Amino acid sequence: MTVASDLVLSTAGLIRSYGPDAGVLGVDLEVPRGTVYGLVGPNGAGKTTLLGLLTGLRRADAGTIDLGIDRRRLALVPDVPEFERWLTASEVVALAGTLVGAPPSPARITSELAAVGLADAADRRVGGFSRGMTQRLALAAANVGDPELVLLDEPSSALDPAGRAAVLDLIAAWAERATVMLSSHILADVQRVADVVGVLRTGHLIYQGPLQTLLDRYLQPSWAVRVRGSHEALLERLRSADWVEECTDLGGGLLRVRTRSVDDGERGLPVAAAAVDARVVSIVPEEADLESAFLALTAAGVQP
Amino acid sequence: MSASLSVPRLEWLRLWRTGRLLVLVLVFTFFGLLGPLTAAYLPEIIGLASQSDGITVQVPDPVPADGIVQYLGNITQIGLIAVAAIAALALAVDARPGLAAFYRTRQPHPLSWILPRWAATSLAAVVAWTIGLVSAVYETVLLIGPLPVGELVAGWAFWVAYLVFAVAVVALAAGLARSTVAVTVVAVVIIIGIAIIGVIPQIGDWLPSHLVGAPAALASGGAEPGDYVRATAVSLAATVACLAGAVALVRRREL
Repeated sequence: MTVASDLVLSTAGLIRSYGPDAGVLGVDLEVPRGTVYGLVGPNGAGKTTLLGLLTGLRRADAGTIDLGIDRRRLALVPDVPEFERWLTASEVVALAGTLVGAPPSPARITSELAAVGLADAADRRVGGFSRGMTQRLALAAANVGDPELVLLDEPSSALDPAGRAAVLDLIAAWAERATVMLSSHILADVQRVADVVGVLRTGHLIYQGPLQTLLDRYLQPSWAVRVRGSHEALLERLRSADWVEECTDLGGGLLRVRTRSVDDGERGLPVAAAAVDARVVSIVPEEADLESAFLALTAAGVQP
Repeated sequence: MSASLSVPRLEWLRLWRTGRLLVLVLVFTFFGLLGPLTAAYLPEIIGLASQSDGITVQVPDPVPADGIVQYLGNITQIGLIAVAAIAALALAVDARPGLAAFYRTRQPHPLSWILPRWAATSLAAVVAWTIGLVSAVYETVLLIGPLPVGELVAGWAFWVAYLVFAVAVVALAAGLARSTVAVTVVAVVIIIGIAIIGVIPQIGDWLPSHLVGAPAALASGGAEPGDYVRATAVSLAATVACLAGAVALVRRREL
């Protein structure tokens, strides 16, 4: 069975149980071609198990996995990559390509290592590499096979801020030529590079879709409204409006207004200010982030 | 131009850069040189020891086959443990999960990595065994006397069959256990277990462990090459069975 042409990978009723709330418990995954899919969830949610099932490193109890590409065009970067310690970085990249039937040229090896900042370490044995260097080498080893789908398990979790930024830049560059599925519990990282997200909780996929939809759906929009002079009339009017969920006086003429929807806020706030003749300095939407959306989603008790 | 790192070259680098080939050759060569020396001077050594106790012990003069007996006695224990440990380092792929993921996601069928690792380690063991035997024969001829070449070649071949089987047992053990130490222990236990069962006369002649004494027995004229045909056939069949079992076990195992 082949997946729909717009999906590079899908699963149906995928189950691998390690107990009532552990493992992967009926996941219907849909990874659109050409996207960066962020798989998020707390530790123990089933992210690594799901990636293990997708790569064949674990077996499913039930369900199906439909891969829309040749299996050799799928690359995995595990959370703790390891290589033969007695090989050089160049040899690791050469071996990685050879094993998937794409032996690279010396120039290609050089370019792959340069892309991850390891050009100077090309002839060094990887046994002496730091964790960050090994992680970057794993990205080069994955890329040398020209994968169509790359699965990354917690690629930045053990890196320092500079290392995290470098890895995220590499993932963003990767997304221009392949589909990337990124598993992480660092939601800020996912938000930075992903355009589609799947939220796993205790083995269940409780949300799957565009990142922006998640932010819009599970975050009540809020604005910071700054008023010059008296603001009591505006405060009173907003608190009595049925489209306002909450209005807080933060002092100094600053109000925090949470509305039912983005549309309500964008249309209602200027009208309300005009109605009481308030001197509005600014109306600034508060930025939504994935972490807040994730907390709202999980707090809402959304059922899979 | 391609810069591919072929699987044979990978296995060669594994043996060379890690020093594993050197260790095997040194172990077998050391005992190859020590064995005949011990055999040649055993009467003097025992004689000196017994004089100090006031007891006279008569030890017969050594014959050439004794040099080979001493060599085999040492490598059957320490040599085989060294082979098992070095084979386990190559064949226990799942001992390091990150490395296992590197190979398993690129070569999903375990045969593609078990077979070359078994072949390379077997070849290294055979090279070490051969150098050790040549050393033992050279020193035996020098210190004790000549050995029959044809019988020695036959004995060499029977030991090759045994070494190939022993490495296949390690491959099977790698399907039963994960860590390198555990794989080594399981393999050594299986090899010792077969040797213990081999003490039973009706069964022993059929088991791979029967091949261990072949070079010495043939060199002394106490056996004919035909006496080892059954054990050789069983060894080769068991080698194939161990490799098939290893592939099946590793294939079933999850990371």
